[in-house]
Amino acid sequence: MSTTTIKSDYLLLFRGNVWDRGLSPAQLQKVVSDWMAWFERLKAEGKCSGGHPLEEQGKVVSGRNGHIVADGPFAESKEAVGGYFYLQVAGENEAIEIARQCPGLEYGAVVEVRPIADICSVKQRAEEYSPGQFAGATT
Amino acid sequence: MLLFRGPHWDRGLGGEELQEVMNNVMAWFDGLNQRGKIKAGQPLAPQGRIISGTNGAFVVDGPFAESKEAVGGYLLLEADDFSEARDIARSMPALRYGVSVEVRPVLGECPIFARHPDIVRRAQERVGRVTQPLAEVAA
Repeated sequence: MSTTTIKSDYLLLFRGNVWDRGLSPAQLQKVVSDWMAWFERLKAEGKCSGGHPLEEQGKVVSGRNGHIVADGPFAESKEAVGGYFYLQVAGENEAIEIARQCPGLEYGAVVEVRPIADICSVKQRAEEYSPGQFAGATT
Repeated sequence: MLLFRGPHWDRGLGGEELQEVMNNVMAWFDGLNQRGKIKAGQPLAPQGRIISGTNGAFVVDGPFAESKEAVGGYLLLEADDFSEARDIARSMPALRYGVSVEVRPVLGECPIFARHPDIVRRAQERVGRVTQPLAEVAA
């Protein structure tokens, strides 16, 4: 009997960009090997359609017309996003299970699991203000 | 990659003002899309989970929904260089309402791994052929 699985999309955001500090060469060797093998396996299983590491240095733009451009995130931050995986899985439980396999967790990396939304939450609230005004938008 | 932070920027805006800024955001997005600047991008649902600890022992709700730091969505840009990405971020119409945009170059190699090239080489030998370090996200 064949079964059809409806997949839903999740983003894993890896937080913390200095968790490698203080690890022994053997620990580093294991975590790097495990991380690569994990990513390759998820891709081979069709559960991860891609991902990227992010360069540590970036800019944070804010204020009217983006007039504030600051360096960021902080170079040494437990909160900084260091990279992401894009998952296509059966549901939240599977996304969480995959996140719990992250080899960096035992060294302090943190994984944020976020469902991809069909519609931006701000737009959803705007729709509630004035129904119909935002129909057909593409974002 | 652009990370949009502070997903509650619409608080306190009247229906008319909100509609105007949403129209502007959508026009901004469509303009970038038509110019071929967007490879991928999605809003994220506000409710997610934060996984931490060895073997993902801790699973908590997060990020804090009201946080100005919370990531509300992302755009993966096809920009010529960093300054183009920064200028695109600066043209985001909701900046004046308190959104901030983090601009982060996407890398082929994880910067944590890049600090340990010998270990990565040995890991690659162990894991076998590693495909293109991290594949593109499905648009």
